[in-house]
Amino acid sequence: MRPLAVVGIAAVAVGFVAVANRGVAAALDPSAVVVTLIGVLAVAQGIRYANERRGRDRRTAVPGEPERRELATVPGEDLDERIARVIGASRGGYATRRELRERVRTVAVAAVARDRNCSTAAAERAVDAGDWTDDPTAAAFLDGDASYPVRVRLRAAVRGRPRYGYGLSAAIDAIGRLDADAGADPPEATQ
Amino acid sequence: MSDGTDDGAADDPTAADRTTERTPLRRSETARWDGVAGVALALVGVGVVARQPGLVLVGAVGVGYAVYARIGEAPEATVELSRTVSGDAPDPGDEVVVTVRARNVGDAPLPDLRLVDGVPPGLEVIDGPARTATALSPSATAAFEYAVRASRGEHEWEPARAITRNAAGSRERTTELATPTRIVCTPELAAGGDLPLRGLTTVYHGRVPTDVGGAGVEFHATREYHRGDPIKRIDWNRRARTGELATLELREERAATVVLLIDAREAAYAAPEPDADTAVEASVEAAGQAFTALLDGGDRVGIAALSPRDCWLPPGAGTAHAARGREALATDPALAPTPSEGRFYRSLWLRRFRRRLPADAQVLFFTPLLDDSAASLARRIDAHGHLVTVLSPDVTAGDTPGTGLVAFERRERLRALRGAGIRAVEWGDRSFPVAVAGAAARWSR
Repeated sequence: MRPLAVVGIAAVAVGFVAVANRGVAAALDPSAVVVTLIGVLAVAQGIRYANERRGRDRRTAVPGEPERRELATVPGEDLDERIARVIGASRGGYATRRELRERVRTVAVAAVARDRNCSTAAAERAVDAGDWTDDPTAAAFLDGDASYPVRVRLRAAVRGRPRYGYGLSAAIDAIGRLDADAGADPPEATQ
Repeated sequence: MSDGTDDGAADDPTAADRTTERTPLRRSETARWDGVAGVALALVGVGVVARQPGLVLVGAVGVGYAVYARIGEAPEATVELSRTVSGDAPDPGDEVVVTVRARNVGDAPLPDLRLVDGVPPGLEVIDGPARTATALSPSATAAFEYAVRASRGEHEWEPARAITRNAAGSRERTTELATPTRIVCTPELAAGGDLPLRGLTTVYHGRVPTDVGGAGVEFHATREYHRGDPIKRIDWNRRARTGELATLELREERAATVVLLIDAREAAYAAPEPDADTAVEASVEAAGQAFTALLDGGDRVGIAALSPRDCWLPPGAGTAHAARGREALATDPALAPTPSEGRFYRSLWLRRFRRRLPADAQVLFFTPLLDDSAASLARRIDAHGHLVTVLSPDVTAGDTPGTGLVAFERRERLRALRGAGIRAVEWGDRSFPVAVAGAAARWSR
């Protein structure tokens, strides 16, 4: 960089001298080629210069929004994000999938045991066999052998989304219905 | 604008004792004139190649802007900040007007000054932005005001941020200006939620019915007559029927020692919507109601928090204790409106809590029950002989798969607690006293 800077300074100095002393200017060859060359050099330098600036760290300070109250977390929102990530990608996220399925299963077993007034083991069998709910999508979600209904498979295929998402929300809805049945009395009235 | 005095802080006593502490944060270049030199050079080049003097001239103008952008450093924010609030002890929901005055105490003008006030995270601005943009010549003053809605707690203002720029706006400097200001908002404790306590009592007379026979109002048992029993308590019907003397025993009513334990771990700062009141707010409000009701009933009441920060008000009674309790619920840092810093160590906390807890104390545990840890803690305290009643504000939303799953899991936890013989009440939309009245009707004792 150093020699280039020296050349540049020298060129500018010559330019200034040429303004005062026409003799120096006359010594330069004003042919079309030389002038064009100078112009092209200027364009190239200009683009290089503008480009170089682009990469530099230039950030204005962002003061944020102190006027708003600190936001509370919504319980389950992080789960929703994870579900969206798992559903968004057609593959992967096996750990999340397995964990979610396991959590839904636990809640479903408890809900079925309460709804049918049976033991946990019997409820587990019902969930595994898929006859704990009328909704085939929800049943297929927790039953490894059963397959999703054709309607859901079609919809999933058309949208390019995994069936998992449909099964998950169907299962949650099914548990909600069981819970609502059990809670003919309001939830806090159950002893 | 200018208030006449020459040279700021030193000869102004009010400014002198509340000097603003300035902390420079960062200096940077803004992107405002990015690439102007390159564009100018390129224009000149194109003009030369195309033999167009006009373009060369335009390029020369661009060079002028490039030079302008390079002149001058962003000035230091030599600003003295003072903040006044319309009331430093407001009631919850009151509007507090905050006036901020900024005075340039330096010798250089500030051509571009932006001030953003550090409103406490627990307060919400309801009128006007808490910021201003201005230019300040030396010893000039600018002021702006905004209004916040007061909410429970002790709110300390964070440092305001000053962003100064040079005239061209190409360089800027961020500075923190700290001026201590605080407001303390202590809610009145409403009496309500007259909670039926469980049968763990002290030896003092009170209002919790026990299984101990003695003096009282409710029938408990009969036993054979001992010399000296009061005549009023002799079972005369039996005497008439069989000729034997027997004495009626009545349930003794005794006072209880109660510790209100509030879950204030980070997980408890949750709400059904991001800008709604958190479970901690709901718990503290309910605890306040229980505190007053229990004290009025003659019980001894203490306060503790499940939080990384320590909070412990030993059980007591009396007017002074009531005032201390109100103060603790309003302003204790462990129950602040925003989560406390630091990690929560459960076993350490439990050990300390058990050491402090009087042997005959029962625990009212206020928790949203959003994790298994709260439920297992309730069981462990109960297992150690301190009867536990769980009071749980419902902050689950339940309209998406994720929130729905969390809501089911929470409800299962409540059911499991009830199955384990721990009393549990939840309240959501209904008020706490209504939920407690409903639950009390179901509990025999």
